[in-house]
Amino acid sequence: MIEWLPGVLLMTGLAGLAALLLVVARDRFQPETDEIVQRINQVLPQTQCAQCGYPGCLPYAEAVAAGEAINLCPPGGDETVTVLAELLGREQEPLQDKAAPVVAVIREDDCIGCTLCLPACPVDAIIGSAQEMHTVIEADCTGCELCLEPCPVDCIDLVPVPVAAAAPAFPDFEMNCINCGFCETACPRDLQPQQLFHERERMAALELLDLSACIECYKCDRVCPSELPLTRTFKAAKTRRQQQLNAEATSQRYQARFEAHQQRLASATSKVRKRPSSRDKSALLAKLGGDV
Amino acid sequence: MPDVVVILLTTIFVNNFVMVQFLGLCPFMGASQRIDAALGMGAATTFVLTLACGISYLLDTWLLVPFQLEYLRIIAFIVVIASLVQFSQIVMRATQPLLHEVLGIFVPLITTNCAVLGVALLNSAAGNSFAHSIVYGFGAAVGFSGLLVVFAAVNERLADDRLPAPFRGSAIKMITAGILSLGFMGFTGISP
Repeated sequence: MIEWLPGVLLMTGLAGLAALLLVVARDRFQPETDEIVQRINQVLPQTQCAQCGYPGCLPYAEAVAAGEAINLCPPGGDETVTVLAELLGREQEPLQDKAAPVVAVIREDDCIGCTLCLPACPVDAIIGSAQEMHTVIEADCTGCELCLEPCPVDCIDLVPVPVAAAAPAFPDFEMNCINCGFCETACPRDLQPQQLFHERERMAALELLDLSACIECYKCDRVCPSELPLTRTFKAAKTRRQQQLNAEATSQRYQARFEAHQQRLASATSKVRKRPSSRDKSALLAKLGGDV
Repeated sequence: MPDVVVILLTTIFVNNFVMVQFLGLCPFMGASQRIDAALGMGAATTFVLTLACGISYLLDTWLLVPFQLEYLRIIAFIVVIASLVQFSQIVMRATQPLLHEVLGIFVPLITTNCAVLGVALLNSAAGNSFAHSIVYGFGAAVGFSGLLVVFAAVNERLADDRLPAPFRGSAIKMITAGILSLGFMGFTGISP
């Protein structure tokens, strides 16, 4: 018997078993549906705009968990598709009919004060009362177009809003990092510029490496033998982080308003008392017998 | 029971893997800027190391030794530990989302950490039983995590101090680690 055979067999067997185990585990242990729906829902922009064909973000999240396409959310943009593709391990697809962000604006001269658009707004962003002019709170409008349809006089326009600045690109460089570590000694804040540079795409890692402590002093640039644009890269990474935080804050605000709206609708139906009608009254009198 | 205590004491203090055996220095230097990161890293390491010691013991006694393939230990351990850690991460993500939230980023980082492989190899060289192997891995990990937290605490304090220029950055870290290591060398005397 050849003496290397058992070793080769064992390693092949081990590697094969390990691969099998991982493939089976990936298929069997999909995160539980509720949890995955929650995570998808967190990724969605919470505009509740129904442009995906579902009545809101949560229903769309449920549909995605059940296998619906991930590229139906125009307000989320390509970023959402990317995150969803990563989260669900699916192929990234280009976004379908991408629209520029808009907000609804009411032409105040034409508004007749009918209040029909108020309940249509999923985030309670339209204020007004009967016979009075209505208006849209611009900061809270998600541009979902749901108020256009109920308006009897078509006085609501969709106005494009200035597009938020695109994520800044990282500056180009000629020679890559050679891991010399000079920048670490140079950093007055004891950060690890070379690690920060390697991990520039990964927000979680940047957080751990404490990017926000960088004071942008350019000392690391000066000692770098590859002449990497370190500080400019960190500036871009910081801007990206801030944009991400802003987008998250906006989507959380939308979601809170949407939930408040839903709760109000639910409590309206449950809280309104049922008063006895005049017919009930006469029936009661008849039952008591005689006129009171 | 007493030997369990002895193994724990040995691995945590006397033979601390970072300070006496100099294993796992990269996360020790790298992930020790902040205490919360150090805690996450420590917890993840404890999980991985305990698991790694158990599985590598089984692999060693049932496959490698009977077929006289001890020379394959390093590569076989790496394959099995890496895939097992990936597997447990998949299971954890599905069943324990909260735990995954805490440990999620750290677990893949330490899959093939030198400390994990080193402890598994030292363990099989020491010829421990299965239960003792697990205690050995757990103790090594507790020693590692404790030290990581201590070192992170020192670093957090040092970050705001005004140091002389030659000591700044990695230099003061090395010196701190050296002094810590000296302290741990002192435990050698109580070796059982």
